[in-house]
Amino acid sequence: MSRSLLAGAVLALAGLMAAPMASAAGAPAGLQIDNTAQVNYTLGATSVSEPSNTVRIVVAEIVDVVVTLQSPAVPVSPGATGQVLVYRVTNTGNGLEPFRLTIDSALGGDEFDPAPAAPAIYLDTDASGTLTPADTPYTPGSNDPSLAADAFATVLVVHSIPAPLANGNRGRSLLRAASLTGTGAPGTVFAGQGAAGTDAVAGNSGGDADATGEYVVADLQLAALKSAVVLDPFGGARAVPGARITYQVVVTPTGSGTASAIVFSDAIPARTTYVPASLRLNGAPLTDDAADADAGSLQAAPTRAVRVALGTLTQSSGPQTITFDVTID
Amino acid sequence: MNTATVSKLVIGALALAATSAVAADGARKGCVELKTVAEQEVEYVDALGQRATRLVPAAKVVPGTQVVWTVTASNICDKPADKVFIDNPIPAQMSYVPDSAVGAGADILFSTDGRQFADPAALRVSEADGSARAARSSDYTHIRWSLRNPIGPGQVAVARYRAALK
Repeated sequence: MSRSLLAGAVLALAGLMAAPMASAAGAPAGLQIDNTAQVNYTLGATSVSEPSNTVRIVVAEIVDVVVTLQSPAVPVSPGATGQVLVYRVTNTGNGLEPFRLTIDSALGGDEFDPAPAAPAIYLDTDASGTLTPADTPYTPGSNDPSLAADAFATVLVVHSIPAPLANGNRGRSLLRAASLTGTGAPGTVFAGQGAAGTDAVAGNSGGDADATGEYVVADLQLAALKSAVVLDPFGGARAVPGARITYQVVVTPTGSGTASAIVFSDAIPARTTYVPASLRLNGAPLTDDAADADAGSLQAAPTRAVRVALGTLTQSSGPQTITFDVTID
Repeated sequence: MNTATVSKLVIGALALAATSAVAADGARKGCVELKTVAEQEVEYVDALGQRATRLVPAAKVVPGTQVVWTVTASNICDKPADKVFIDNPIPAQMSYVPDSAVGAGADILFSTDGRQFADPAALRVSEADGSARAARSSDYTHIRWSLRNPIGPGQVAVARYRAALK
């Protein structure tokens, strides 16, 4: 036997094998990979070619999952029901895998605990991204989402908000997805539990993952709706030079809480001229002078704009209607 | 690195080769018996508490893991085998780990099509736009170990490389 040839085998061992990585879109679990080498040589004058045995390796399943929150902090009112957090559960492993979903709404680091509805978890069956009657309530062990490699499920979590709460209070809730094959430290082996009878190995996630959503008791929301009516010099409604446009803006406060020092401002459109003393709030005329006591004014710089000091509003204040007129230059 | 374990592994492979040569006696016309083995390197803690690695049969191959492919060529005749070269296609779904191919006394050549083999520095591939560039290790599809010397009767040549599962 040749000692010098043996040295090659020893050298080949240099370097460590990389740890298994979560690899979305990697080789699918159960894939069979065959390898056959070939040798060519001469014996005297004869050329010979021979194959080796064929070695088959079967790709094992890596169990990995990612949960991401899809909804930003949800603004809520105290006592509200049916408030929805949207999550996405993605199978980042390489085989078909069912996942068990659980929620935890009694988390620390917030001011209140959202109360899970019954049922609290829905699968977004109609893929609308919102809770609709078509969505299926989730029952653990019954309709655990079974996801192909790289596939995801949208999961909706429904809570009620306790009362009373102060503005800005936050309530957090967590959704966890855990592989039904098993969970454990990365690298944990679940013998024979993988797709197509392969071994399954816990990936970087350990086979489970979670994400935390948040409800925030919102400050008052102000919605503004603007409309325009054109009256031309000839009694029609064409936007021609000299036509008069009456703008109407309705500001509607919604939600809980109180907003103070609200100032409405709207720029005078280009190529139009403000009609003096046309500004009104809820039908009552306002002056254009900023110095006087009433709420209205015409601002000259940096841009020409009408301003109305709306002061303090709550939802019970109701819609505030502002009108002003311009003429087309 | 645990050299003792490695030597044992290779001797084990030789014993296997010899056995099958006897079983196939008379049925085979060739003189070089080729054996392919797939292994994975795993870390363990040895008797002295040191971290070490060893090769184990490939199992639990998940995306990202490396497989150590070892091809052993044994001359089971009483004549030397000359002008020996060993070809191994890099399996589909696997990519060659750069600089991992070894083989004592062999010139190691690569191919991007299984037909033309060349030294890595001389290997070029065509881009879609017709331009040519130096081949990268990820372009390799086949590896060839071209032995500089004959394999004498009873001698063994070993070729080895690593490939990572995509």
